[in-house]
Amino acid sequence: MSLPGARQKALEIFHETYTREGTTIAFPMCIPGETLSIPADESHITALDITRNGIVYGGTSGRAAHFFTGMFTGSTGMVFDLATIADAESCTAVCCGNDKFIGCVNDAGGGHIFMRDLQEVPFDITQESSIYNKPLRDLGYPVKGERIIHAVRDVSREHVVGITENHLFVLDIEKEQIELVGEVKGSGKLIAGLDGNVFGMDEPDALFRFNLTKRTLERNAVRLPGGNWQNAPLIWARDNVSGKLYVADNDGYIFSFLPGDGFSERLGKTNLSPVKAMAVTHDGRLFGFCGEEISNMFCYNPAKQEVTDNGVAASVIERRRYGYIFGDAVLGRDGQIYFGEDDDLGHLWIYFPTITKQVLENIEE
Amino acid sequence: MKYKTVWYPFTEHPESDSCWSLSVGPDGRIYAAACCETTPGQTVKVVRYNEETDSLDYLFDLDKAVDDPRDSGRATQCKIHYSFAPSMKDGIMYMATHLSGPPIDQPVYSPLGSWHDKERCFRGSALIAYDTKKDEVLWWDTMLPKEGCRCLLHDEERGLLYSLSYPRDHFFIYDIKKRKLSDMGRIGSVNAQTLFLDSKHRVWTTDDYGHVVRYDPEKGRLERSPYILPHNQQMQTGWHSVFYDVAPSPDGQCVYAVPWLNSPRMMRIWPNEGEWGEVEDLGQVTQGFDKKHPPDFFVDHCGGLVFGGDGMLYYVASRWKEPITMGHNNKGLEGIVWRLDPNTLERQEVAVLDRPNENAHYVSRGAVDHNGDLFFGHVHTYAKPNGIFKVIMPEERKRKNAHLPIRMWG
Repeated sequence: MSLPGARQKALEIFHETYTREGTTIAFPMCIPGETLSIPADESHITALDITRNGIVYGGTSGRAAHFFTGMFTGSTGMVFDLATIADAESCTAVCCGNDKFIGCVNDAGGGHIFMRDLQEVPFDITQESSIYNKPLRDLGYPVKGERIIHAVRDVSREHVVGITENHLFVLDIEKEQIELVGEVKGSGKLIAGLDGNVFGMDEPDALFRFNLTKRTLERNAVRLPGGNWQNAPLIWARDNVSGKLYVADNDGYIFSFLPGDGFSERLGKTNLSPVKAMAVTHDGRLFGFCGEEISNMFCYNPAKQEVTDNGVAASVIERRRYGYIFGDAVLGRDGQIYFGEDDDLGHLWIYFPTITKQVLENIEE
Repeated sequence: MKYKTVWYPFTEHPESDSCWSLSVGPDGRIYAAACCETTPGQTVKVVRYNEETDSLDYLFDLDKAVDDPRDSGRATQCKIHYSFAPSMKDGIMYMATHLSGPPIDQPVYSPLGSWHDKERCFRGSALIAYDTKKDEVLWWDTMLPKEGCRCLLHDEERGLLYSLSYPRDHFFIYDIKKRKLSDMGRIGSVNAQTLFLDSKHRVWTTDDYGHVVRYDPEKGRLERSPYILPHNQQMQTGWHSVFYDVAPSPDGQCVYAVPWLNSPRMMRIWPNEGEWGEVEDLGQVTQGFDKKHPPDFFVDHCGGLVFGGDGMLYYVASRWKEPITMGHNNKGLEGIVWRLDPNTLERQEVAVLDRPNENAHYVSRGAVDHNGDLFFGHVHTYAKPNGIFKVIMPEERKRKNAHLPIRMWG
């Protein structure tokens, strides 16, 4: 093509396809150069959480489930495969307590819970690594024969609230005790508010509210706003500053929900649907992935009240990879967002959002 | 045939937790460093094996010898790290100190974090010229200001000492006569653990990614090989394939080397072949392990490469019974002394290092003395005091002056 500006246009088409704002980096599921990666068909990352000091924990699905930790602070830089649950085909939740993590998987017996002490942060592994593993503790099945749909930890990190196909349960992390607290037909993900309540899908178009302190389950407590909620996976994100909860319906309409105040109107619509995973960074911007097969990143900026499309994830620093499907997201210590790639040979992606440039009056470079 | 091993703990330095340096001196005797890297406010002591008394003599404390007191509040003169280098013409043993030992009131020391801290920062690697004939320190100099010396090499014909610094990983040349230091630039971040010299006076080492790095005095610059050293391609990339230990063959035509990396492989390198030498991969020297778990560098290890008087290469490789993920303080770790025939490349287990009630799997360096016996430095920071091993060679395999031609690097 020799039309004027054709090359420029071609470059735009190519490069504007990928991460347009910020930087996406794919990190392999191993200690690069030292260990094998989690096998490709066991590395669909479907659950993530993070400790108070910024250490990532996650779980994978596939021919087997794995629990792993990702450390990127100081002179660490690794994903360490903590355990293989050979009989499990999916991990639906990982929750970080204060000194332990909890992983929920599904195997032939139903939803199965494991626990382990948090991994010690090693010394400078650029120099030499001495990393030890610890055994998992099997906490059993909350309800034998019922799969675990999802689970979340509360803000104090002392309890996990989970839902199976028909039951709501609470795990006391310190006591390692599981208690059934109600009967609810599990559907979609849960979210823990800063107010101590946990919300999840109830009857069509409504949420239940479970108060952890009082151990009360309130059915159909909150009416969902107008939208397409039929079998919605209910992907949530929490703004840890404002306490605002975000959720998207099947068509990609984004809503915010402030416990006590109720739902917002539609805030915007993602370019593609459904929304797969999302998290809120420190300044209130919501980032996530939407669409099937080849997802696009989106951003909802509450300051501008707009949703923008950020293209397809591409990693060009050290590890070259396109990111197509993401299974979970969690906010990092410094405002970066970790996205778990739900694909064969899944990687742990780190997204560094753009920092808004301050422009002084009449001075701009 | 099994060789007898004898353990010599550093009893007069009870806080010593490691022996990172062990070499044969120009006098054919064995010198070792009783290092203290985990105890705040300590120092390394230089010891020598006394064949008359079959015990260790304690020669001097480094901090006193170089006027850098252990209780100064700075990082301490805590160890000598692969940095003994002999001088045959005058009987001097050069040695350079390394850092890591914490100041007296700190649990650890970060050389990067304290780089600008005048009160904490390591004063610098002290170079000592020790006269083995008179048993005295002839002179000393702060060779590498603020940094430690990871490894040292002596080109005796040219009167030059080569070293790698830590943490900046610079390649330095020290002119002994002029007492002048030249910085030839940075190599990487990890730090190779050895330099070696070829017959053309070229000095070889490695970068962080397994490329061979060579300093050619004729060119006056560092160059990198286009190839990467052998590694386990299943999970390794060449990263951290830095030399750990390199031993010259007695004929001086090639060297044998192992990397500072898990699943270490023995290599034979012919530096004079082709533009970048020829590297032979002689295979992995330790057992396999579950490669999805991170290996412990203090478990999966090989060091102590030395040629015996019988013309065979001896080295110590670790062996473990429990899963490797159990860590280096786990019982059941062994240090196996192997004897490799350079002609057939067959190896034979000749001894298991026997340290009473403790693991003895991590060997830093090996040397052969003028009587033909083998010695190995040992590291086990959890079991103090540390010490060295003597492996008694069978009479028919001994040779007088087996240490000659002498190794010129630590």
